[in-house]
Amino acid sequence: MAIYSAIGSSITRGEGPDKVTGKSLYAADITLPGMLWGKALRSPFPHARIVSLDTSRARAVPGVRAVITAADLPDSLVGRRLRDMPVLARGVVRFAGEKVAAVAADDPAAAEEALLLIDVEYEELPPIFDAAAAMSPGAPALHPAMSSYEGLPQPPSGINNVFAHITWGQGDVAQGFAEADLVFEHSFNAQLMHQAYIEPHACLVSAEPSGKAQVWVNNKDPYALREQLAAVWGLPEERIVLHPCSIGGDFGGKGSFMDAPLCYYLSLHSGRPVKMVMDYIQELMAANPRHPAVMTIKSGVKRDGALVARQARVVFDSGAYGAFKPTVYLRGADHLCGVYRIPHARIDSYMVYTNNVPKGHMRSPAKPQVVFAVESHTDLIAREMGLDPYEFRRINLLRDGDSSPVGHQWREIRADETLRRAAQSAGWDTPKPAKPGTLTGRGLAITDLSQGVGRFAARVSIGASGRPKLHMAFWDTGTGSHTVLRQMVAQELSVPVDEVDIELLDTSEMPFSSGSGGTRVTYTAGQAVVGAARELRRQLIRAAAPLLDSPEEDVSLHSGRVVVGPSPQRPAYYRTIAIGEVAAHAPAANHGEAGIVAEYEFASEPPDVTSFCAQAAEVEIDPETGAITVTRFVTAHDVGAILNPLLHQGQVEGGVIQGLGYALMEELQTEDGHISTLSFGDYKIPTSADIPPLTTVLVEGASGPAPYRSKGIGESANIPVAAAIANAVTDAIGAPITNLPLTAEKAMTAIKNRESGN
Amino acid sequence: MVKLKINGTEREAQAPAQRLLLDFLRYDLGLTGAKEGCGVGVCGACTVLVDGELFASCLTLAAAIEGAEVTTIEGIADQGRLHPVQQAFIDHGGFQCGICTPGQIIAAKALLDFNPQPTEDEIKQWMMGNLCRCTGYYGIINSVAAAARNTRNNAPRQPTDD
Amino acid sequence: MIDFEFHSPSSLDDALEMLERYGGDARLMAGGTALVLQMKQRFAQPAHIIGLRPLAQTGGLSAVQETDAAEPYVEETDADETPKSIRIGALCTLRRLEDHPLLRARIPLLADAVRRVATRRIRSMATIGGGLVNGDPSQDPPPALIALGASVELTSPSGTRICPVEQLFIDYYETDVRPNEALTAVLVPVPPADTRGAYLKFLPRTADDYATVSTAALVPRNPNNTCRDVRIVLGAAGATPIRARAAEDLLRGQELTDDAIRAAAATVPDAVDPLDDFRGSSDYKRQMAAVFTRRALTQALGYNKGTATP
Repeated sequence: MAIYSAIGSSITRGEGPDKVTGKSLYAADITLPGMLWGKALRSPFPHARIVSLDTSRARAVPGVRAVITAADLPDSLVGRRLRDMPVLARGVVRFAGEKVAAVAADDPAAAEEALLLIDVEYEELPPIFDAAAAMSPGAPALHPAMSSYEGLPQPPSGINNVFAHITWGQGDVAQGFAEADLVFEHSFNAQLMHQAYIEPHACLVSAEPSGKAQVWVNNKDPYALREQLAAVWGLPEERIVLHPCSIGGDFGGKGSFMDAPLCYYLSLHSGRPVKMVMDYIQELMAANPRHPAVMTIKSGVKRDGALVARQARVVFDSGAYGAFKPTVYLRGADHLCGVYRIPHARIDSYMVYTNNVPKGHMRSPAKPQVVFAVESHTDLIAREMGLDPYEFRRINLLRDGDSSPVGHQWREIRADETLRRAAQSAGWDTPKPAKPGTLTGRGLAITDLSQGVGRFAARVSIGASGRPKLHMAFWDTGTGSHTVLRQMVAQELSVPVDEVDIELLDTSEMPFSSGSGGTRVTYTAGQAVVGAARELRRQLIRAAAPLLDSPEEDVSLHSGRVVVGPSPQRPAYYRTIAIGEVAAHAPAANHGEAGIVAEYEFASEPPDVTSFCAQAAEVEIDPETGAITVTRFVTAHDVGAILNPLLHQGQVEGGVIQGLGYALMEELQTEDGHISTLSFGDYKIPTSADIPPLTTVLVEGASGPAPYRSKGIGESANIPVAAAIANAVTDAIGAPITNLPLTAEKAMTAIKNRESGN
Repeated sequence: MVKLKINGTEREAQAPAQRLLLDFLRYDLGLTGAKEGCGVGVCGACTVLVDGELFASCLTLAAAIEGAEVTTIEGIADQGRLHPVQQAFIDHGGFQCGICTPGQIIAAKALLDFNPQPTEDEIKQWMMGNLCRCTGYYGIINSVAAAARNTRNNAPRQPTDD
Repeated sequence: MIDFEFHSPSSLDDALEMLERYGGDARLMAGGTALVLQMKQRFAQPAHIIGLRPLAQTGGLSAVQETDAAEPYVEETDADETPKSIRIGALCTLRRLEDHPLLRARIPLLADAVRRVATRRIRSMATIGGGLVNGDPSQDPPPALIALGASVELTSPSGTRICPVEQLFIDYYETDVRPNEALTAVLVPVPPADTRGAYLKFLPRTADDYATVSTAALVPRNPNNTCRDVRIVLGAAGATPIRARAAEDLLRGQELTDDAIRAAAATVPDAVDPLDDFRGSSDYKRQMAAVFTRRALTQALGYNKGTATP
């Protein structure tokens, strides 16, 4: 195993001084001369026809510079892949909170006042809030023009209001169930959840007379956004420039176009740059939250505990539009059968239109939902068969040579080892603590997370200063990826990490790169950056060799210098030259400065390794109140090289606590199609006083597809948390809670039902 | 005209009565360190000090604190030298995306000014008004504890002002 | 937020005169945490705001002082002890109260309840008077204040009047404070030295949440473990803080056994009237009100001076 210098160190983040002093600029911090404030009017009804819209009173408000409705816009739909959403509602509104008009004014107060003076007459239409009901043939078709939408998966589902019906599987489930000795079936519900990044969506758009659009927005996928904006605005991509800004948390929620398309039209109509910032009421009402899911899993098991068949179904309430999903359906639903060896398996997943808020992506989309279901189902089967949930898993966990229930073949499967280490750390074999007056329980859960794929372009340069510079159009959402990428450059060029600078470019200055997300960055961006850095190293050596009067093969890099070591021909010979000096000798690079530049593009293939995450929770439940306390939590990760232990651990910890919120307290509640939890006073996320003692187990030694044999970590830790805690709760009470979140009241009900023998 | 002392300097700007302190700082004075998060005083991203007290600037009218001394994140470092709390947040993983960080640092500084040697529980109780979605809080608590260890001021707990 | 005029009075009289002048269109603003939020949400749209912050340093409006009590908290058999009160200026912030050595020493039940309010930051802004005028039945100080038999001093141009906190709350966000009155002080009788109390706040979601239900219990010294007196008050359990009189009546004069406490607590579900909301169903909260009544009494009797950690 090679020894690395920059890689593997807990290098502190380069952006640290800016972040701790408030100097980092986020989208809402940026201003342009002459900037106006934009605000949107939203529908109070979940389903209605717009009968009339009168903006004349709004236009008369002093300071108002533009008021627009759909009538002022081209008839064009927007979407990340499925283009099914108008920029402003056109004739019909499909969810409470849908934008129907917008105002740009000199100050926010004038804009708000103008909104109140826009007169809209609605004719209410019957709404559908339940996804299952929406699927029935008698329900109103919420998108009659669905078959004409660009990006609709083919072939069409043929089911009412279902814009995607995706199946996965292998074998023949009918045959599998015929072979089974026992059959078990359970259903589960997962709730509507918000990403709850602390920074709301914000954008600043300047539609220039030249025909260019300059855009600042807290979107972590700028090239994809550029494509979406080009498509809806009818502009060529080269005319749209996305500028970098810091992003205040993403978790999947900041990949969508949100207000940017609308903001452009306000700028166009007013002739001024326009800023739109969502307040948090609007965020909770109408951003793109995590999908709620209704899941049913049926399993056939042999008497010895081996799974032989599994049939599963998940219905996702997609909300009024599919526009906020980059892949239209949620690929993570392919994990609904779990990480087990099941010869006959089938998953049916449905994306359903309803008159609820349109959903988007959140940290490992679909997986927290389906893993809650399948891992709870796993425990319930084990209990009904009288088997230890750990042993039952071990019988069935994937091993080398197995294919997953949906036909993936991984090599180097470390599921068993990861689960064993989690269980061991949690004291699975030791007696549960017996505290009088409480119910205690333990639970396990395991899943895997593979690396995402995409494309990335990186450029690395060195000038006379000798400080390598990484150029990319890739914004850091807080994961620390910029620091890790600098470490890679430092590693390849043998310089200290703090001598590597980053230049963030706008989208006009670099080719397409996939943005942050999908656990693709360490892998895809990493390989591109390493590729560029290695190419730069080759060029440095090629340029340095003649200066050192040596053949290239004798030349290497060490501590910021190019070095020629002693050789048998010249035993006392030792020459060195600073890399800055080498660069200064090079002819001017295509960016006008003397120096050496290397570019590299990498398109990642789906890798053949995955990464397991197993977690164990211990809970105490107060039998008089149902209050659930997580007294211990273990998270075990199957990892390759850890590029930066401090950053890696930060991702693990943050993921666990998001999972904790999902498990115990977070729910966007609705009343008649309206979100009723409209502030952080109602929608509660964990505070510093709510965190459990946490142990992280790193199961090292795997070989990942990312540079230095590493694996990505960003999305794993939040996936199995709800399942591990749910299983612990089931263990404590002796009865399951099958819908999230696991509240004290639900636990109380489960305790009472079990006591009365229900 | 609203007049406030911000980070030791007298500042003034025309602002209507309903101008929130947060907006006064960010838009009238160009000090964008304090952030708007939840808008209802819960998340703490807008936290500043007003006459040494923790304040939610999103729930404060600028006019209502006329004449007060306001400390924002921009005033925590001493002429470019980072405060021990700021340095600790860098060294111990106290931030990730950074949006809550100005508020966290103001709150942490106020804690250590009040109680230079807080226990872990005291840190959690004090800091629970500053929400973070990235770190899971472990890094923040470690950072505050490290700053407490590193700070020179080991004076005993401050008496109250009565 | 709609337009309004902001006024900075130079004295309490000045503030009262402004209140009179602008009538129903004016609101007094102390800490502002409740009022500014209500204005942002357009639940309150006053044309005039009278900012009281500059008055905090004047006329004892934020001072905390021990005084002789007008009336004792409970009939004392020991005539040597002069009944005392703590007078808290209305503009005293919750943070100052939380840290106040006088309160900690003499009325720990109130200090405990105050420190449960929201977060340190909110407590640094919010005032004891402002919180009471807001009339939110889910707040933490009112149950403790009512259990302690506290009163408020209400001042208008025609003078002052004293109103027991128990009578101050009328409905959700509605109090007996008249439009031309300012709440100027909170008067808290100091209970006798060996009074026991507990304030419990049920927080099944997060530490910074409002209570799902809360209970303040105060039990003066009991000869022979017989209950001489008891006060039980529930918060977040109805349109106002609710005094559990049926429970108190059952306990008075009885021996304070577990069974007696349980029986008293069993009357509480019928005494409260909580709403279904994000924190739980009405039914669940009723049951929890009984649980936390029993626990508050048990804790109060098990610890000297009552420390509140549910």
